[in-house]
Amino acid sequence: MNVGALTKKVLQAALFYEIWDAMKVTFQHMFHRPITFQYPREQRTIPDAHRGALGLLRYDDGHERCVGCDLCEAACPSRCIKVISAEDPSRPLQRYATEFYIDITKCVFCGYCVEACPVNALAMTKMYEFSTHDKRTLLFDKKRLYDIGERHLDDAKKYLYAHNQEKNVEESREYRYYFPQSVLKSTQSPPKHLS
Amino acid sequence: MGLKPATNPDVEAATIELTIDGKTVTAKDGVSLYDVISMTGKIIPAMCYHYTFDPFGSCGMCLVMQEGKKAPVRSCTAKATAGMIIRTEGDDLFLARKKAVEKHLSVHPLDCPVCDADGHCELQDMAFEHGVTNLANAKQKFIPEDTRSPVLDFNMNRCIACAECINVCKDVLMIDALQFMKKGGFNQVVPKGDVALDCEFCGDCLAVCPVGAITNKFSKYLYKPWQMKKTTTTCNYCGDGCQLYLETKDEEVIRVTSPLSWKNKWGDRSETAKGHGGLCVRGRFGFEYLDGKTRLRNPLVREHNQLVEKPWIETMQTLVDRFTAITHRHGADAIAGLITARCTNEELYLFQKLMRTVFGTNHLDSSARYGHMNFVHASKHAVGLGRTHNDWEDLTKAKAVLVIGSNLTETNPLTAMRIKEAIRVYKAQVVTLDSAVTNMAKLASHPLLINPGTEGAVIDGLVKTAIDQDLVDEESVKKHPRAFDALKAAVGTLSLEQISAHTGLSSETFKEIVALFAESPRSIILCAEGIVRRTNGYQNVLKLIDLAWITGKLDRPGCGVSTVTEEPNEQGAVDMGVAPEFLPGQARFDDAAARDRFAKAWDAPLPQAGTGSHLVDILNRCRSGQIKALYILGENPLGTLPASLEVRTALEHVELLVVQDPFLTQTGRQAHFVLPACTYAEKDGTFTNLEGRVLRVRQAMDPLGDSLPDWHIMTALANAMGAHWEYQSVNDIQAEILKLVPGYYNLGQPRKIVPTPDHYLSDGYAAEVGARYRASEGHDQTRPFSLQMGQVLMHSGKMSTEAPGLIKIAPNTGKLHMNIRDMEQLGVQEGVKVCLASERGSLQLGVQPDQSVAPGTCFFPEHFNEPPVKDLMTVSIDPVTGVPAFKQCWVSIERA
Amino acid sequence: MAFEDQRTTVYKVDPEHPESKTLPTLRTEELLLNMGPQHPSTHGVLKVILELEGERLVKSTPVMGYLHRGVEKLAEDGTYHQFIPHTDRLDYVCAMYNNFAYCRAVEKLLDLKVPDRAEYLRTIVAEVQRIIGHQFWVSAQALDIGAMTVFFYCFRDREILLDWFDELCGARLTTSWYRIGGVERDLTPSLIEKLKAFLDYFPPKIDEYQVFLEKNRIWLGRTKGVAVISAEDAISFGLSGPTLRGSGVDYDLRKYEPYSAYPKCEFSVPVGKNGDTYDRYWIRMMELYESVKIIKQCLEQMEEGPIMADVPSVTLPPKQRVFTNLEAMIQQFKLFSEGFKAPPGEIYCGTEAHKGELGFHIVSTGGSKPYRLKIRAPSFIHMGAFDHMARGYMISDACTIFGTYDIVMGECDR
Repeated sequence: MNVGALTKKVLQAALFYEIWDAMKVTFQHMFHRPITFQYPREQRTIPDAHRGALGLLRYDDGHERCVGCDLCEAACPSRCIKVISAEDPSRPLQRYATEFYIDITKCVFCGYCVEACPVNALAMTKMYEFSTHDKRTLLFDKKRLYDIGERHLDDAKKYLYAHNQEKNVEESREYRYYFPQSVLKSTQSPPKHLS
Repeated sequence: MGLKPATNPDVEAATIELTIDGKTVTAKDGVSLYDVISMTGKIIPAMCYHYTFDPFGSCGMCLVMQEGKKAPVRSCTAKATAGMIIRTEGDDLFLARKKAVEKHLSVHPLDCPVCDADGHCELQDMAFEHGVTNLANAKQKFIPEDTRSPVLDFNMNRCIACAECINVCKDVLMIDALQFMKKGGFNQVVPKGDVALDCEFCGDCLAVCPVGAITNKFSKYLYKPWQMKKTTTTCNYCGDGCQLYLETKDEEVIRVTSPLSWKNKWGDRSETAKGHGGLCVRGRFGFEYLDGKTRLRNPLVREHNQLVEKPWIETMQTLVDRFTAITHRHGADAIAGLITARCTNEELYLFQKLMRTVFGTNHLDSSARYGHMNFVHASKHAVGLGRTHNDWEDLTKAKAVLVIGSNLTETNPLTAMRIKEAIRVYKAQVVTLDSAVTNMAKLASHPLLINPGTEGAVIDGLVKTAIDQDLVDEESVKKHPRAFDALKAAVGTLSLEQISAHTGLSSETFKEIVALFAESPRSIILCAEGIVRRTNGYQNVLKLIDLAWITGKLDRPGCGVSTVTEEPNEQGAVDMGVAPEFLPGQARFDDAAARDRFAKAWDAPLPQAGTGSHLVDILNRCRSGQIKALYILGENPLGTLPASLEVRTALEHVELLVVQDPFLTQTGRQAHFVLPACTYAEKDGTFTNLEGRVLRVRQAMDPLGDSLPDWHIMTALANAMGAHWEYQSVNDIQAEILKLVPGYYNLGQPRKIVPTPDHYLSDGYAAEVGARYRASEGHDQTRPFSLQMGQVLMHSGKMSTEAPGLIKIAPNTGKLHMNIRDMEQLGVQEGVKVCLASERGSLQLGVQPDQSVAPGTCFFPEHFNEPPVKDLMTVSIDPVTGVPAFKQCWVSIERA
Repeated sequence: MAFEDQRTTVYKVDPEHPESKTLPTLRTEELLLNMGPQHPSTHGVLKVILELEGERLVKSTPVMGYLHRGVEKLAEDGTYHQFIPHTDRLDYVCAMYNNFAYCRAVEKLLDLKVPDRAEYLRTIVAEVQRIIGHQFWVSAQALDIGAMTVFFYCFRDREILLDWFDELCGARLTTSWYRIGGVERDLTPSLIEKLKAFLDYFPPKIDEYQVFLEKNRIWLGRTKGVAVISAEDAISFGLSGPTLRGSGVDYDLRKYEPYSAYPKCEFSVPVGKNGDTYDRYWIRMMELYESVKIIKQCLEQMEEGPIMADVPSVTLPPKQRVFTNLEAMIQQFKLFSEGFKAPPGEIYCGTEAHKGELGFHIVSTGGSKPYRLKIRAPSFIHMGAFDHMARGYMISDACTIFGTYDIVMGECDR
C-alpha cells in the first residue's frame, strides 16, 4: 500500500468519511416531500380490489340476491359464516337466508366466500375501519350486512368487477335462477335469459 | 355383493365362470352382470341401480365392453353368462359414460344453490367425476312443482327418471304408490293416478332419490349436508329398533336419514333379510318433537296449586326432603315408581336400583306391563326364554307365517317389511287372523277375517284341528306322551263346530291353516297386541306355544312363537328387572341366590321377597292410601288407562307425585314436581329391540334448556338421598350391567337360545292345561259392536302427538272409524254424530268410514284422548301377569 | 475460539500464600439469562436461554412455540384450497412466497401443469415478495444493530410494493393470491405500469441503502466475523438460502431444481466467502439487483394467455359460466363444498423463499383434505444452528445472530 492511499485511509478514518457520505443522503431527503400522511385526517386511496368488510347485495329491483345456498359457509377457511335458510314465506318455493351471520372477529378477509357465491350476493367493500368498544357488535347479522352492501354498493360492484366475479353488463343483475312453480299456483315468471 | 338371492334359501344356485378385466371370476348363475362386477369390488357408476331391487337400466352409466360386441352393453340389465369376457375400464367407456351424464344434465335445471340434494347428489358427483364441462343444447323443463302431498314435494325438473323411487316402492316396500306418467312432454314420477300422494309415507323413495327430485317438506331449504352433524342412533318409536341418522345443526334436528340411501347402493341382497335399512313414517318424519316448543326446559314445582318454574337445586332439595319425610313417616313401602319403556336400558336398570336400594321399595313397574309382560311370562314359563323366539332373518326366511292378532304394518312397520320380503322373495305362505282388514292381509296368501274378540277361540280351533287331523309332529309329541295326553283330553271337550260358529272360520279353513303351518319346514307364529293386550293374553300365548310344540315348530331352527313390542325398549325393561317379579337379567325376585348376588353387588339390602306390586296394584294402593309417593318417569297412566281404573283418584290420593318427562303430560299436570327429562337424541345408552338385539343410542345434541338425561337426574336423586353412586357417564352404568348380567350386550347381536319346553311339559303341565281350553262364551247381544283401540301407522303412544309433522299427516279427526256397510245400516254418513255406549258410559262422536275396519267392529286410535273414547273401555286384569287388558270392549252404536 | 468448560472450576488462592487464610474463596459460575420472549429484537416471540460466562455466550437454548397456532393440524381439517389463507400467516412478512410454495406442492401432488402466463405472473410476484423480504431484513437487522435510518428508507420503498399488492389482490400482507393451478387475478395495465416505474426507481435506492451500511465502521465491526459458520457445518445443520450461500455454498433451488419461469430468466446467484453476517448482508443486497433483473425479463417475455389451468376437477370455472351453465355450477359447488380429491401419495416440494428453502410435505390418502401436512420452515431449521453459531460471541451479538437468519416466528412456530 502506498503512502497516498494509506494517508487517505487514515484521513477517512479520522474524519469519519463514511458518516459524511451517509449524512449527504440524509440531508438530500430534507428537501423531499414527506411520504407519510396524517391518518385519519388523510386517507389512503383504496384500490378497487381491496378486500374489506363484507356486504350483502340486492338486485336492482330490491330483492335479496342471497338464496341461502350456504356455499360461503362451506368455502370459509375460518368458519366464520353461519347461514340459516328457509323457504321464503312471501314467495313460496323460493329459498332465502333467514339469518346470515359473519363473525368479523374471526374473518380472515380471504374473499373465498365471494368467490364461492353462485349469485354474487356477497361482495367485499373498501370499508376497513371497524374498531369498536363492544366486541359483540362485530358479529355482523343479516341487516348489518345488507346495510353495508347498500352503503358501499359502488365499491362492492367495483370489487366484483375487479376480481372477475361479475361483468359490468345489464344481464348480470337479472335473476339467475328459475324457481319451480307450484302445481297449485305460479309464483314467478321464467327469467328472460332462460326462456 | 349385490347378488340376487335364490328364491329358496335352501337351494344353492349353480356357479358360472367369466372373465372381468382379465381376471376369472366365479359367480352364481342367473344374476346380473353388474352384480358380478360389483362383487369383485369394482365400482362402475350407475345411477338407477340399487341392490335392494332388480336392475331397471335407465341411466345408461353402467356400460362395459363385452368381447365380441361392438357397442358397450349395460351391465345391470345384462345377465352374466359363462365364458363372458368383460372389460370395465377404458377411455371409450369413460366417454360413453360421460355422454350418458351429459344427456341427463342437458335437461337439468340450474338450481344447485336452492336444491336440497346439493352436496348429496349423484348427478353432481357423476358430472364432476366425468369432467363434463361444455354442454350443447341445454334446455329446461319448467315443470311446476308438485306440493300436494303433506310430506313430500316432487320437483320433476330435477328428475333423471332413474325410477329408483318407483322400484323401491313397488319391489321392496310392496306399496306401489308411484308411477311414471308422460306429462308436458316429459316422463314424470307422479303419485298413482296423479293425485296427491297418499301412502304409508315411509320416505324410502326420498332416501333412494339420487337427485333432489323428491324432497322432504319438513326440512325443505333448511340445510346443506356440510352444515350438519350426523349421528347414528336407534329410533325410539317402536320395538323394531331401526338404525337411523339424526342430522343436527347445533340444537336443531334438521332431518332423519336412513342407512337405505342411494349412497350405499352396493350390497348383498340376501343381507336384506336382516333389514333393508329403510325407515317408516314415524322414524323419518316424526323427529320434530325432539327440539319442539312444547319440550320442558325447567323443573316445575307446584306452589299454590300451580306449577311454577324453579331452578334444579331448589327443586331437588325440596323433593328430597319430601321423599325423606315420607319414608320416615310411612316406611319404604309407601313409595312406588313407574317408568316408560322408552328409556334406555341403563336408565331402566338405574331406576329399579334406585327404587330397590335407595327407596327400599319393590313397588315398581314399566310400560311393558301393558302387554309384553304376558308374552314374557308365558314364554319364560313354557320354554325358559323371556323374549321373542325369532329374529328378523328367521321371519324373512320362514316358509309359513301365522300372523295372529297383529296389525303389523301399523304397529311395527319394519317387521312387517320382513314378512313382505318373505312373501316377495322367499315365497312364504302367510296367514293373517285378525278382526280387522290389516295391511298385511292384503298381501297374505290366506287373509282370514275372524269375529272380533275370538282370537283365543281361533287358537283353540287350531290346536284341536292339529290333534284331530293328526297334523302333530310325532317326534316332539313322543317325548312327552303324558303332556300330550293331557292336552288331548283338554281339547277333547271343545267342539270345532261351535268354534267355527263363534270365530267365523270354517273347519276346512282351520284344516288348511294347520296343514300349511305344520307341513312347512320353517313356520313362525307371530302374535301381537291382538293377543297380548287382550283378555286371557297369558293363556293364549301358552296355547300358541302348545300349537307350536305339537306341530314340532318350537325348538327347530327358524321356527317359534314371536311377538312384537310397541315401545322401543319393552324387552329391555323386562331384562333390566323393572318389574316387581324380576331382578336384572330376568332373575326371579324371590330367587334367594340372585337376591344375594344383587344385594352384594349393590351393597344394600333388597326389599323383602314376596313384596312388590305391579302397575294396577300400585294404582290401587295409591287409592287406598298405602302408597304416599309415586315417582313416574316418562309414563302417563292418566292419559293411557281408562277411567274405570280411577287413575285420577289414585293420583289425587298420593302425597307426593313426581313426574319426570320431556313434555308436560296429562299426568304431569297433576304432579307436585315435574322434572324435565331429555329425549333419546340428547343422551347415550342402549335399547333392546324386539329381537333381543342391544342397539346403541347416541347423543346427537346437547340437552335442551335445563333438561337432563334421566340417568343423570336419578343419580343426583340417589346421591341426595344418601347413596353413593359414582356414575359419571352411561359407560359407568353399562360397566355395572355387564358385570351383573354377563353377556347382555353381546356386541349388539341377539343371543341365540333354543327354546326348551321339556321341563315345562314334564312337570305340572298336565295339571294346568286342563283349565286352559274352555269353550268361550258369546257376548252381550245388546252391544253388537266391538270397539277396538289400537295404534295407527303414523303414531306411537302419546309421544308422536308432540311431533307436528306426524300430526299434519294423521291428525286427530276425533271420529270413530267404522266399516262403510255398518254406517249404511245405521244410516249415517261421514261426520254424522253417533252415540257410542259401553258398560262404562257413553259419548257422542262423529264417524268416518275406514276400509280397514271389518263389519261389526269400530276403531279409535289409542293416541288421542279427545274425545275420551278410552274411558268407555272395560278393563280385565290377567290373574297371572297382572296385565290390564283395555283395548277392546263391546259397544252399541246409535245415531245421535 | 476454544473455551474450556469452567463451570465447575473453583478458583482458589494459592494455599501457600501467607494471606490465604484471611482471603475468602473466589468462585465463578455461569449466568443464566432469559432473552425474550418480549425482547424486541427476537422478531416475534422467541425466548432464548443464554448461558453466559461474563459477557460471552457459552450455550444458548432457543425455546420456541410461543406463536404456535397448529397450522399443520388446521390443514388436515380443511380442503386443499382452504389452506391457502393459512399459509399467509406462516411467514407473515412474505405471504406471497408461502402461497407460492404451498400451491407448488399441491400442484406437484396433483401433477398439474400451470399455464405459461400464470408462471410468469407467479415469478414476478414472487420476486417482488423477495425484494420486500430482503428490504425488511436489511431494515430490521440494521435496526437491531443500531442503525435506524436505513429502516425508514427501506420501509418507504416497501410501502410502494405493499400498496401494489393491495391493488393486485386486495390485501397488503395476507395476500392469498396464488391458487392451485394458477393465480387469482391478472396484472392490470396499471399494475404493470406501476411495477415498471418501481423497477426504474428501485436500483438507485439499493445503492442508497448501501451507503449507510457498507462502509459504516460500526456496521462492519458488528457484522464482519460475527455468526460465522463453515460450509460443512452449514450443510450439516441444513441451512439454506442466503444463510447457506454466505458460507460459500452455491445452492439455490431456483437454479438446482428450476421451477416456474426461473429457467427462462437469466440471473446469477451471489455466493459469499466467509460465512459471516456481512457476507449474508452482501448476498441479500445483490439479490435485490437480481430480483429486479428477473422481474424485468419476465415482464418482457410474458405473453397473453390464461392465468388458471383448465382442469375441471381441480380448478374453479370462470365465474361468468357458473351463472348460466350447469356443469360449471356443479363444478363450483363440488369444489367449494367438498374440494378436489388428490391422488393418494406423499410428496415433498421445496421452494426457494428469500429466507431459504420453504418446503411442504403432504401426505394424501386420496381424500379432499391432506392426511398430514408438514412445513419445512427455514426459520425453524436455522434456529437449530443458533447455539452452534452463537457460542463464544458477546451477548450483544445475540441480536445480530438472530437477525442473520432472517427469522420470523410465525413460520418458526407455525
